[in-house]
Amino acid sequence: MTDTNNTLLSVTDIHKSFGKLKALNGVDMEVEAGSITGLIGPNGSGKTTLFNVVTGFYKKDRGHGKILFQGTQIDGMDPSQIADEGIQRTFQISQATRKMTVMENLLLASKQQPGESIFNSFFRPRLLINTEQDQLRKAHEILETIQLEDLMDEFAGNLSGGQKKLLALGRMLMADPELMMLDEPTAGVNPTLTNDLLEIIQKLRQDTGKTYFLIEHSMKVISSLCDYVYVLDFGENLTAGTPEEVQSDEKVLEAYLTGQTS
Amino acid sequence: MQVIFNSLIRAAELGLLAVGLTMVYDLLKFANFSHTTFATIGAYLALLLSSNAGLSVYLGAIIAIPVVGLLGVLLDKVVFKRLRGSSPVILMITSFGVSLALRNVIRAIWGSDIRSFDIPLYRGINILGGMITPIQIGIIVIAIVVMIIFHILLHNTRLGKSMRATSDNVSLAQASGIETEKVIQVVWFIGTAFAALAGILMGLDTQVQPRMGFDIIIPVFSATILGGLGNPYGAMLGALALGFAENIGITWFNIPTGYKPAIAFGILILILLVRPSGIMGKKGL
Amino acid sequence: MGIVNYLAHIGIMIGIYGILSLTLNFQYGFTGLVNFGHVAFFALGAYGSTLLVMSGGTHFLVGLIGAFIIGGIFGLIISLPTGNLKEDYWAIATLAAAEIVRLFFVNEGWIYGGPYVAGPFGIRGIPSPWSNVIPTDVYIFFYLGLVAIFLLITYLFLNFLSNTPFGRVLKAIREGDDLPKALGKNVFSFKARSMGISGAFAGLAGGLFAHYVSFISPYNFQAIETFIVWAMVVVGGIGNNRGAIAGAAIVQLFYSSTRFLKDYVPIDSKTLASVRMIAIGLLIVLVMLFWQEGLIKEKKSEYKNKLKRVSHD
Repeated sequence: MTDTNNTLLSVTDIHKSFGKLKALNGVDMEVEAGSITGLIGPNGSGKTTLFNVVTGFYKKDRGHGKILFQGTQIDGMDPSQIADEGIQRTFQISQATRKMTVMENLLLASKQQPGESIFNSFFRPRLLINTEQDQLRKAHEILETIQLEDLMDEFAGNLSGGQKKLLALGRMLMADPELMMLDEPTAGVNPTLTNDLLEIIQKLRQDTGKTYFLIEHSMKVISSLCDYVYVLDFGENLTAGTPEEVQSDEKVLEAYLTGQTS
Repeated sequence: MQVIFNSLIRAAELGLLAVGLTMVYDLLKFANFSHTTFATIGAYLALLLSSNAGLSVYLGAIIAIPVVGLLGVLLDKVVFKRLRGSSPVILMITSFGVSLALRNVIRAIWGSDIRSFDIPLYRGINILGGMITPIQIGIIVIAIVVMIIFHILLHNTRLGKSMRATSDNVSLAQASGIETEKVIQVVWFIGTAFAALAGILMGLDTQVQPRMGFDIIIPVFSATILGGLGNPYGAMLGALALGFAENIGITWFNIPTGYKPAIAFGILILILLVRPSGIMGKKGL
Repeated sequence: MGIVNYLAHIGIMIGIYGILSLTLNFQYGFTGLVNFGHVAFFALGAYGSTLLVMSGGTHFLVGLIGAFIIGGIFGLIISLPTGNLKEDYWAIATLAAAEIVRLFFVNEGWIYGGPYVAGPFGIRGIPSPWSNVIPTDVYIFFYLGLVAIFLLITYLFLNFLSNTPFGRVLKAIREGDDLPKALGKNVFSFKARSMGISGAFAGLAGGLFAHYVSFISPYNFQAIETFIVWAMVVVGGIGNNRGAIAGAAIVQLFYSSTRFLKDYVPIDSKTLASVRMIAIGLLIVLVMLFWQEGLIKEKKSEYKNKLKRVSHD
């Protein structure tokens, strides 16, 4: 990772403590634009914590480090501000709004909706209607891509775990961010769906050049998708490299064996 | 000195209620709006036993307290148990409804009139410049004794250990063989009994009326949140702080008595804005 | 009071409480905000309109606008802590805030006419709008129509909002702040607007109330009122605007009809009042235990048909 001009996200010396528990102890990472970067590590190594810090759901410890996204410093910002900057993330346990339909979920996700202003709702109805129609079209396309078309009017709460993961991906596509951070996108998803998911991600990367940063437990997914992988252990960088390098690294194998099983 | 006495009395009453409230919150994770209603029930039951059944006030109290405690357990069984796992909001709203119903049962039976316990009117004793009646001294002493017993219970008995374990982590406690449902029942019993005791003490100090439970709910919540929801020692501390704040506010800062309840409310809002986890609470993520 | 007049009276109360119910439903049913101090809007609107008309000499409609604005401002104020407070903490805070508002009106008699007129004694002689123009025997029907119009306006407004993208975000916030935040929505701004709008209309209801009953005092605005409105929202069906009105009707009818019970059952009116409250309390508990959806379920937004129209462009 030498071409710093191409770095979309840079994480430098990040610490995060919860009381006496040190979850992240000086983590460094860089995600190149247009790449699919992976993040692995045994359970409890701090992967999701890192995601939470980057996306603003946790505040990093003071006095250390910073996080830059497209040159802007984002540590300390609110999650919604960071999302506005162009980062979107999924949650490990898929957030599905039980009482909203699949379609509503997608419509919710699009950015810059004039309809979210009360003023516009009353004084610019035409604008609202037109935007809604555009959103509907876009959402429909995405639904076809993620194969949830038939479930358009189904309550998101009624979906299976795997379908919820697809929905999360769908929301992300609606929002169209520069950086997509996926927290265990294939966990709980059956093998066929997993393959579909991988295909979708790869195709999207090809077509749109967007960047992916994912946490994964499945080495198969990592190997087939990622250009570069970071390994965390006990809140610290253990090693980094291409999937092949990392897979054959002894330190990595040890970490997984001595820690909890993945 | 008078201020100190008044504060201690108030703190004693609030403290008993606050500890019970915080225990239930800690275990079941919801703010039980019906908690203080049991103070009212306790007071009226003791009143019933002493005035109508001819028992002495103290005997009446001794009987009433465990009875009300059992009532609390019954309430849990009939209502709250069925809602285990519901969101805290649903539980809160339900407890709202329960308090409304119970409070009005009292009012329906006894009417809105103010009543008092049939005890001789004691003259105040002058201690170090402040007037205090023997009853009021008794209130403070009883509260302290009960707190000490509670502390011993919590730390030196098996039951206490089970309570602490369950409040920390329910599934872990269950896995260690602790019957969490039983612990929940015990907590309801103790908490409600404390409330009943507080109600009787309040009734002895001033008077008994159906509103007493509701009037005191905000101060109790203030004390509990001030000390940190879920922490019984914090609740005691919060009650002390609030007792003093109210009385100091009135005597030294000349806050008009019409606004006395507002002191508790104001402190509550202040705490929630500044440090919702309270003095001794666990800091939220 | 003749039977028709009495029905008109009930209709007016249903209308006023219907507005309160709609607004509380907007806060809880749509946005997920648990407000235990809803009566504060009612009080502020009532006193606000009264003072504007009686002390300020303004027209009734100006008074209503004032009530609307005061309600809205208070809504914005109490939404401030929603950013960093958990829902149950915020609920307790709203209860406290409403009590403080009530205590203010109890203690500050100077706001109208001095210590023996306002304060705990309330304000009497609040003028009813156009009472000099409309004949007394039909006045109540006129007021019924007035309330109905405002109820309709509130319903249409809130209903419309719920179906816009704005309402969509509120529905998402209802289920948790995390997802909307992750999608870039400024959750606080949405909550503030939700409270502001619903607070404004609730204040309006207060104004309508004051000019109907012509006498208000802090006793009209105790916390119990909030409970009653909660019962209405819960019975009618959470998240459903028609349900909110239905709930208001049901609870109000129940409330009013029990008044006649004392003609058939040997029970005095004070006890009856308590029994009513017991019933309402039980109603809340029973609905929470067995029937959380309430009378009318929330409508699902369906898009299949909308899509067909769109793709034919």
